Amino acid sequence: MTAQEAALSRQAIEALQPIHHPPTSFFRRYIWSLDHKVIAKQYLWAGLLFLLVGGTLAMMIRWQWAFPGQPVPILGPTVLRASGGVIGPALYMQIFTMHGLIMIFFAITPILIGAFGNFTIPLLIGARDMAFPWLNALSFWVFALSQLLVIGAFFGDLGAAGAGWTTYPPLATNIGTPGSGQTLMVAAVFVTGVASIMGGINYVTTVIRLRAPGMTYMRMPLTVWGQFLTAILNVLFVPVLGSAALLLLMDRLLGTQFFIAGAAAVKGGGDPILFQHLFWIFGHPEVYILILPAWGIVADLLAFFSRKPANWYKGTVLAMSAVTVLSAVVYGHHMFQTGMNPLLGQGFTTLTLIISIPAEVLFLNWLRTIYKGSVRLTVPMLFALGMVFVFGFGGLTGLYLGAAAPDIYLHDTMFVVGHFHFTMAAASFLASFAAIYFWYPKMFGRLMNTRLGKAHFWISVVGITLVFGGQLLVGYAGQNRRLWNPFEYDLFKPLQPLNRWTSYAGFALFFGQLLFIWNFFASFRGEKAPANPWQLGTLEWSVASPPPMHNYDAIPIVHRGPHELSDPALMAKLGRDWVGQAEEVPPDAPGATQAAARGAT
Amino acid sequence: MSTVVSGVIPYRPAQARGDDTAWLGMVIFLGSWAMMFAALFFAYGVLRLRQPSWPPPGTPPLPVLLPAVNTGVLALNAAALQGALVAARRGQRGRVTAALLLAVLLGAAFIGGQLFLWSGLFREGLAFEDGSLAAVVYGLTGFHALHVVVGLLGLLTLLPPVLAGTLNAARHNRLRLWVMYWHFVGVVWLSMFLLIFLL
Repeated sequence: MTAQEAALSRQAIEALQPIHHPPTSFFRRYIWSLDHKVIAKQYLWAGLLFLLVGGTLAMMIRWQWAFPGQPVPILGPTVLRASGGVIGPALYMQIFTMHGLIMIFFAITPILIGAFGNFTIPLLIGARDMAFPWLNALSFWVFALSQLLVIGAFFGDLGAAGAGWTTYPPLATNIGTPGSGQTLMVAAVFVTGVASIMGGINYVTTVIRLRAPGMTYMRMPLTVWGQFLTAILNVLFVPVLGSAALLLLMDRLLGTQFFIAGAAAVKGGGDPILFQHLFWIFGHPEVYILILPAWGIVADLLAFFSRKPANWYKGTVLAMSAVTVLSAVVYGHHMFQTGMNPLLGQGFTTLTLIISIPAEVLFLNWLRTIYKGSVRLTVPMLFALGMVFVFGFGGLTGLYLGAAAPDIYLHDTMFVVGHFHFTMAAASFLASFAAIYFWYPKMFGRLMNTRLGKAHFWISVVGITLVFGGQLLVGYAGQNRRLWNPFEYDLFKPLQPLNRWTSYAGFALFFGQLLFIWNFFASFRGEKAPANPWQLGTLEWSVASPPPMHNYDAIPIVHRGPHELSDPALMAKLGRDWVGQAEEVPPDAPGATQAAARGAT
Repeated sequence: MSTVVSGVIPYRPAQARGDDTAWLGMVIFLGSWAMMFAALFFAYGVLRLRQPSWPPPGTPPLPVLLPAVNTGVLALNAAALQGALVAARRGQRGRVTAALLLAVLLGAAFIGGQLFLWSGLFREGLAFEDGSLAAVVYGLTGFHALHVVVGLLGLLTLLPPVLAGTLNAARHNRLRLWVMYWHFVGVVWLSMFLLIFLL
């Protein structure tokens, strides 16, 4: 690209994104803001709030598994007064149902995709905002509506939803779980799906249309790649969940019989297994929807804080794309136990295990990125390394469940619970925290406390490993998931001490998050952040912290990839190990290189 | 660092560029919604294959004539909308208005036809609770009809700018996108007619 072509490109793309004056009214600045950075913060607040709710529910489950039937401390005398402070079987089912649905749809999704997708995509590709800012704001408020429905579900006439997060009929129909709580939760999932689709349309269009001149696909930060692929999956597969929720809502509200069979349906009823197909056609891509942004963020952070280019960038991109494609054709491995044709099961086993090939490429690329790097153990880097560690556990345990033969033994045990918590809960949350610690200076213009951050990291990573490791162990020993009191059964009685110790680790993990909450709020009065606190070259660090509403006074012209760190020629010329993606490096002058090299060393 | 650089953005007028972005957004949205309807058709296929006979015993056979007429109505509606788009490109304001009104009328006639169809089936004794046939007929065509209603509202919002002259030969992207939406809704109905009523 010559300088003239670059100027014309910039002119073309600037005309598409004129600079608007920042709004002045409170309503337009904080409520109905069209600024992607404000919408990102709205998503972050909403997600963190529900993370706390989901975490509290998790603590109640852990209490039940440690001390079944005993009054719950703190929550017993307050919120559980109606049931005498103890968790009964029906309430227990509602607790684990709401925990799962809240964590997946109303905590991880808004934080990882809503907040960080919104915050990073326009900034990192050199755009002034999303392609459709109005749709972006609408997407958040539709999401907020779905959260209201969740809150409403807690006050349902027969309690909250209680059919498990997978909401399988016939348990999820009026026959199994009557009451408005379940209906409201299904509606909430439908509404949040609509919000996800709106966001997905916006993210895909933005990445395709609004990249700055010179920001080719192969120069995008891997964070953006992760968000882009996630958005594609969201756009394609959330509608399938939407259709499942829609049909279930019709069954519950209109009395249709899509999923009702047997004695309840005399005139050729429906098929409960149909729901499982629809749910998992969405559900398997969904686990990648939740992990792809985490992969992208972690791949970037590992390169940034090893002060090295990411190892085989194109390989990482290809591997992530391959996983995206494969994720659409493996859903049957969730249904090995539904009477599936064994030949079909074998096919799904093979396809599932093929995913481990691109996953290995990713993993080895991460490890080779760190290898021989100048590793800086900053707080975001620690969380990124922690994510690599727990994701390793999650990935390896997935092999047992992806193959039909071991899955028949492990199906519906705590092993499954441990596996998906290691991937979705542990890996996605550690990556979310990495992202929060990494972009907090850019989002809020302040630095977070490093010492508290490190303490939070160690409690989190050790706690997560113990809690979900404990689940894997009791699951491998055969303990079924979703048991109100596992120790009613003689064969699980010896597992009670292990369950109890796992719960202690869980309580420590939960209360360790207080460090984060304190750090997050106290840092609003922390030290002011410079524009580039981490000394990095991606575009967002070239503007002030926090950036102005229009992000870039002039749309940057990008010259190089995102991780051009420690390039010897540039180090000699610039006297530092990083170079901006849009930075103009002066051409070589005779003799200058050696002089600069002396200065740099 | 490579010296060969791609990514030069060719010059286009800003408005055309914005129109392209909106068009792309619409394509992605319709692709997404196509997945929703594909899932609904998949559900229909599974439910139907599970039955030993179709229609299941105890449920009345579905009419063919009325849905066929309704298919014709939607086809005329598509033609009217295409006419409105052509007229808008040529800047013929009167024709755009007439074609839009005709399309709204035909869309409303389709909804009327659907209400007639449902009430007829209801009178024949096909209640919501009557198994998978009732679920598919009422659920899927009802959900589709909601999309027609949304499309009708969309066309109505286009009328004031057409009359005011702000939707003209130079700026008619909104009309173009709504026509795309309508064609999508039409294709979904055609599939429903073929797969549910005819097959």
